[in-house]
Amino acid sequence: MKVLILGGAAMLGPYVARELAPNNNLRNTDIKPPEEDLPGEFFLLDASDLDGVDAAAACMDAIVNLSVLRRDRKTAWDVSTRGCYNMMQAAVTHGIDRVINTGPHYTVAGRHITEILDFGIVPDIPPQPGTNLYALTKAMGLEICRVFTEHHDISVQHYLFYNFKAPAAIQPGERYAPYVISWENSAEAFTLGLDIDLDALPSRNEVFYVFADMPHGKFSNEKTKRILGFKPRKDVENLWK
Amino acid sequence: MRILITSASHDRSAALADHLASHHEVRLTERAHVETEYEFVLSALGHDRSTNLLTRGIDAIIHTAEPLPGEDVSSQLDAATRGTYNLLMAAAEEGVRQVILLGTLDLMADYPAGYRVDETWRPLPQTQPPTLTKHMAEQVSREFAREGSLDVRVLRLGEASDATVADAVVDALAQPASLAAQHRSKEEGARDPWLITHVGERPQ
Repeated sequence: MKVLILGGAAMLGPYVARELAPNNNLRNTDIKPPEEDLPGEFFLLDASDLDGVDAAAACMDAIVNLSVLRRDRKTAWDVSTRGCYNMMQAAVTHGIDRVINTGPHYTVAGRHITEILDFGIVPDIPPQPGTNLYALTKAMGLEICRVFTEHHDISVQHYLFYNFKAPAAIQPGERYAPYVISWENSAEAFTLGLDIDLDALPSRNEVFYVFADMPHGKFSNEKTKRILGFKPRKDVENLWK
Repeated sequence: MRILITSASHDRSAALADHLASHHEVRLTERAHVETEYEFVLSALGHDRSTNLLTRGIDAIIHTAEPLPGEDVSSQLDAATRGTYNLLMAAAEEGVRQVILLGTLDLMADYPAGYRVDETWRPLPQTQPPTLTKHMAEQVSREFAREGSLDVRVLRLGEASDATVADAVVDALAQPASLAAQHRSKEEGARDPWLITHVGERPQ
């Protein structure tokens, strides 16, 4: 499959590229050059550039959006919200029916409900990101994707993450977020997302929490395992053992 | 009441200013210069002190979230999302009591003709402006209301005269803002910080 990766030089990008490279032709893009060689092509591209995203999507079968800029208001809206619009418009133009979008866990479950009160938090809730810049800009990107899927034959899978770990670097007793995954394990979800029969997805706009099995029950990754066939590794358990 | 009206270059904003000016202090703003008889502040609605100064001392904002003439889709989307976010963040910081967002009933146009569609129904935006941008402005505004930092009234405008729209805005302004949201009681009579009202006929 020919896959366009937006934000491919960012933190998760190299892991995803290495995971997908053996079975796909990759077109990596980012606003900055990668710090290491990535398998496949690489182009400099600003996700907020509609014409640039459109050109990069030509002849592609799927788009994976890893782009993120979370602190500056201008770039956060440019990348996380307008970037999604550009991506979806490019998908329409080039007949691409498979998109994997990414964001933080609070894209749908804002901090006001996730961090304090609740357990068993699932991804299929009406998005309620609150006004946190990162959460809201990604939530608006998700909403744009949803609107496009209502009008076009495009399936979007949203993979939401919280905290990534390098298992070898875990220190005894270190504090950790209630939603953790190793970099390598997270990348494996993208293979599943590219391989899955789109008709097997419940709808054309699906949200998944991608993280390791964790014993405290704060969030639920059940849907990700059930629908995508995701296999959480047991490589971050030293956090709580 | 001191009222800030956005998108000053649009006829609807100008008509509202004319209607409200007899009983209120009106300030207009736009992302480009506009000739007007009212106080005017040029503002890009950016993330800087000027947006706070724009909203300082204001009691209510009427945010119309309209594009500039000839603006491309990407810029319209930017204005409807980031611009609304910056405006409302500044408003919340400056203690503005109420925001009235002028939306569009075009969001409900795809429901079958003859259906009695009301404010509780899910909006059905297209993938292009104006419905997409108006929808996104609603979505951004809703999060401020959800967190209780602003009272937001959405008036989704259908086929309605300027007088009808002005009356709807006056009605919304007359409702006491349930401010100090952090102290809001959920007992009977307390108002929700988020309210949608359909004004005029739904396009079908």
